[in-house]
Amino acid sequence: MTLKNTRERWGAVSQAFHWLIVLLILATAIIGLTMGELPRTPKYFWVYTAHKSLGISVLALMLLRLGWRLYAGGVPPVAGTPRWQQAIASATHWALYALAVAMPLSGWLYDSASGLRPFRWFGLFTMPKLASPNEWLADRAVATHELLFLLLVALVVLHAGAAFWHHLFVRDETLSRMLPGRGRRVPSPEDTNHVT
Amino acid sequence: MSPRLTRPAAVAALLVAMMGAPAHAADYVQAPGSSLAFATKYDGEVFTGRFGGFDTRLHFDPQQLDQARLEVTIQLAGTSTGNADRDSTLAGGDFFNVARFAQARYVAERFRALGGNEYAADGQLTLRGVSKPVTLHFTWTPGTPALLAGRATVKRLDFGVGGGDWADTGVIPDAVAVSTRVFLHPAP
Repeated sequence: MTLKNTRERWGAVSQAFHWLIVLLILATAIIGLTMGELPRTPKYFWVYTAHKSLGISVLALMLLRLGWRLYAGGVPPVAGTPRWQQAIASATHWALYALAVAMPLSGWLYDSASGLRPFRWFGLFTMPKLASPNEWLADRAVATHELLFLLLVALVVLHAGAAFWHHLFVRDETLSRMLPGRGRRVPSPEDTNHVT
Repeated sequence: MSPRLTRPAAVAALLVAMMGAPAHAADYVQAPGSSLAFATKYDGEVFTGRFGGFDTRLHFDPQQLDQARLEVTIQLAGTSTGNADRDSTLAGGDFFNVARFAQARYVAERFRALGGNEYAADGQLTLRGVSKPVTLHFTWTPGTPALLAGRATVKRLDFGVGGGDWADTGVIPDAVAVSTRVFLHPAP
């Protein structure tokens, strides 16, 4: 597997970004959905800090990823994909990129406007504040954060559903070319010889 | 002026005004526009709060400090710090425990003149079922309304405010700064 993307496959860098960010978003979402149940005492504040720190990590990785995407380009849709599917897939990809940036930003804004305590990224360094304490802004930011999350879930379902559909029913390379290794074997002339 | 006093209506009005005047010129009640606030920090992040309400009664004459008496009732419910999560935590059992202790009370009967218009009142604060001495430093500006502008330092842990998980003074300092500006009308 090459580092850069080819006409047929996503390269190692794009794949690493994709799957690392998938894992980080999954962890951030699980913590985000459950942390509200914890007692609101300092003993558990590290869980909130973990959620925020993971989110900021996603933001940083997304900016690098977008830079790489613009530099290395994308991989064209597999041959034979109808135009309308190409258009929906492309729109979904860019909307996912936008959400993966907007979600951490809205969370960061919510944290800043709440003004409860300093936010230290994994306890290592203090993050700057995007706004001074402002209850009105904090309410809007958290409402946006939650709305964007619902949108993200909907698009992830669409995106992953399409990938599985391509893999299981269309039986093309759409999913496997985003997976490490050689992916699904393309029938070679020898294979054809064995069959005949 | 004096010719007017010959008019019966004017005399009657003056008499009514005198009857309506306070029984003792040194008794005051709180006027609108007064404020009582506190400031502290969480992990270095400063925040301020206002109590749900407060009511002041004062007997004060700079010439007769031994007669002075200050009585403040503070509503702890409704304390607001600009963040709903923090407000609900403050109202909860770890902090003010408003379900059990809806009010705090400050009563001072020992006053000291510090020179100029500055004074100190050595009173007792009753908060969360605990009574401890707290000194209020204030300036007194006579007038209508008169203004009492004061500051006090309250050691939160003396009163069990923010115990347990919140007791770490490296996170929330023990000393909480309280400041007040009370406008005072003569008591009716």
